[in-house]
Amino acid sequence: MKQEAIPLPDDAAMAVERLERLVQREREGRLQAEAIAERGLRELYESQVRLALLQRITDCANRSNDFSEAIGEVLKEICEHMNWAFGTAYRVEGGGAAVSCDAWYTAEPAKLFPLVEATRDRTFPRGEGLPGRVLRDGHPHWIDETELAAHACRRIAAACCGVRSACGFPVLIGDEIVCVLEFFSHTSMLDKDAILLTVTQAATQLARVIERARARATLLHDALHDAMTGLPNRTLLDERSRAAFERLPESREGLAVLVIDLDGFKAINDKYGHHAGDIVLIETARRFDSVITARMGGRRRGDQASWRATLARVGGDEFVVMLDALPDPAIAMDLSGALIDALKAPILVADEYVNVGLSIGIAHSGRSYCSVEQLRQDADLAMYEAKSGGHGGVVTFSESLGNERRNRMALESELRDAIREKQFTLYYQPIFALGKAGTNTGKLRGFEALIRWNHPDRGLVEPGRFIPAAEAGGLIVFIGDWVLRQACNAMARLHAEMTAQGLDPGELPYISINIAPQQFLHPTFSAHVQRVLLETGVPPELVRLEVTEGVAIIDPDQTRQVLEQVRSWGVKTSLDDFGTGYSSLSYLQNLPFDTLKIDRSFIASMDDPKSRKIIRAILDLASNLNLSVVAEGIETMEQGASLREMGCEYGQGYHLGRPLDEASAFALVWPEGTASAA
Amino acid sequence: MKGVVFNLLEDAVVREHGLLAWDSLLEMAGLEGAYTSLGSYPDSEVVQLVDAASTALGLSAGEVLRWFGRSAIPLLHERYEMFFTPHKSAQSFVASINDIIHPEIRKLNAGAGCPHFHFHDLDDGRTGLAYKSPRRMCRLAHGFIEGAADHYGDRVAIEHLSCMLDGHPVCRIALDWNP
Repeated sequence: MKQEAIPLPDDAAMAVERLERLVQREREGRLQAEAIAERGLRELYESQVRLALLQRITDCANRSNDFSEAIGEVLKEICEHMNWAFGTAYRVEGGGAAVSCDAWYTAEPAKLFPLVEATRDRTFPRGEGLPGRVLRDGHPHWIDETELAAHACRRIAAACCGVRSACGFPVLIGDEIVCVLEFFSHTSMLDKDAILLTVTQAATQLARVIERARARATLLHDALHDAMTGLPNRTLLDERSRAAFERLPESREGLAVLVIDLDGFKAINDKYGHHAGDIVLIETARRFDSVITARMGGRRRGDQASWRATLARVGGDEFVVMLDALPDPAIAMDLSGALIDALKAPILVADEYVNVGLSIGIAHSGRSYCSVEQLRQDADLAMYEAKSGGHGGVVTFSESLGNERRNRMALESELRDAIREKQFTLYYQPIFALGKAGTNTGKLRGFEALIRWNHPDRGLVEPGRFIPAAEAGGLIVFIGDWVLRQACNAMARLHAEMTAQGLDPGELPYISINIAPQQFLHPTFSAHVQRVLLETGVPPELVRLEVTEGVAIIDPDQTRQVLEQVRSWGVKTSLDDFGTGYSSLSYLQNLPFDTLKIDRSFIASMDDPKSRKIIRAILDLASNLNLSVVAEGIETMEQGASLREMGCEYGQGYHLGRPLDEASAFALVWPEGTASAA
Repeated sequence: MKGVVFNLLEDAVVREHGLLAWDSLLEMAGLEGAYTSLGSYPDSEVVQLVDAASTALGLSAGEVLRWFGRSAIPLLHERYEMFFTPHKSAQSFVASINDIIHPEIRKLNAGAGCPHFHFHDLDDGRTGLAYKSPRRMCRLAHGFIEGAADHYGDRVAIEHLSCMLDGHPVCRIALDWNP
């Protein structure tokens, strides 16, 4: 290819003209290069500043566990960065409204005062005002000068402050709006993309703080609260109790502890399952809480120092109320009554209504207490006292109860020795047929085995003096088993002797043995009975197990199962002390008893026509249900005669025969003139 | 001084007096004259250029600066339109100088030393503008304000109440936007 020369200008003027154009092009090129570089520098600067801002916000979010602490700093950073006049934040509670959290920033508080005042303590319902719109739509909103002046609900305040535009942003955790940020500016907000980028990232960091605060609160709450009922747990109760005890004045008065135990809860759990039990606990907690809240809220202004209450769930079905700053000890008793009333209405569980009762023990603080733990122990003791009555109720701890406890503990220790050293012995009280009306000859039908404690120092001790302690200390199971085995052994011996002597087996007396509720409801009780029957060889039909209504109240289903099982082996069953306690007809109807024993209190007061009417009713009832009846505690001839007149078949009592040792008692079975082989 | 000031001055001179006039000024001032908006150059070079123009045109240095300021506004508008569009009046534009324009300039030029203008209301209803800078270029500010008024089609009466050039510690300028 031929190289062609570039054409050159022919004169100087043209050369100048062309050089000028060349300069102009260079100039244009330089301007463009500068513009490009400036744009780059500007973007670099802006992104550096934004990154630095976000870094500060992130640092703040990282070191803060508390939203209210972080929000102030974040608002300040954003306002300074954007050169905005005023920034504020709203918490969203339950999604319904944006509630001002009184966190705000302005570089010119005096100038912005009207807007700050119009914003603080404000609540914007969903859809109302800028925060309400952000809450409704879940996305940022912008308000320009025209709209701000014409429609905004804070337009007057905004105009006073020279504010011309505003924007609002949601702070989101997942899809949930947890907070709304709001900013006002003296100028128009033009670069919406840059604003969005910055504020959205700041909002993400704020959301982290809220999320962390929530997680922390949940952890803290879970550690100190019962998951099922949401009530404070033992840890929180202990913490508050100790703090309250330490705040007590020198007299150490003003603190009360209520220990509350549900009666009949185990039965509900067993019958309907744990889920039902849970429903009962939750409902109980709810009712307690509303009673306590109402009582505390019901105080009038000007009343004495206001008291506080902490309701806690401390165990399966055990609640504690700690009352602090009590002006009057009577409040504890009143509150207990209200709690009992609150549980009178039945609770719906698995389509059935169930009832639970309460046993409440109260202990009041005083000089004698060195720790709140002692107070708790005494309230516990009072609760057990209330429970031991069998019908629940309220017992306030007293000095005598404390003494009783000390005595009972000493007694328990002695009882342990007695069990180990076999200091018990059985006495037998004869039970007679009262005979037909008009006759007075009674025939021996059986014996009731009655325990005596052959105390090394005190001689023979009656059961009333030690059985309650044995029950409270859980020793009754061991003593009861001994009684069962001992009585069956004795009866087996008597039976062997009588048959050896050729006496009519139909004439053989039975042995009635008292079984304590704890013993009866022990899971292996019926198996134990079976073993005793086999090992002693006593004819089952000569054994009668006496239980009180207490067992049925504690656990009606278990009671029925055990009764059915022992009866299937031929053992007879007897309901003791009938007429006291609940005397529920449903127990009589549903539980398989052979015999009903009329409590001695009715016999003792037979002179009273009311008692006679009750005895009459019981006899009619028993006759209808096909139960035999034994009257207990017949002490006079008149009582015996009256009962016979009324058609009562059997009876026992001092008038008929006192409890006797085995040899003396069993001598009664031999017809006059014959003698025991023993 | 930022290079953009030299560029603006060059543009203003070239626009009014032709391409070669700028070269003459540089020659008179004894300066190399390669300026880019991205660079920074000694303040003394501006002073030298203004002095040269003052000699060449038979005007005071203050008059030259005022002329330069007024002529620079259209050139600034060409380069940085975004600073002008948010404003509907010269008053608003001037008022935004500290809060918007200067921060923006600092974005482009890290370390740019922009003067601070303190605006305040005067008793007679005019706007007071206090200026304090070792560069003592209150006349450039005067020209910029006039240029802004030209740009927005507004009128403004400017009065120097006191001036650093007259030995006062601070320049105080009164602006009357409704003369």
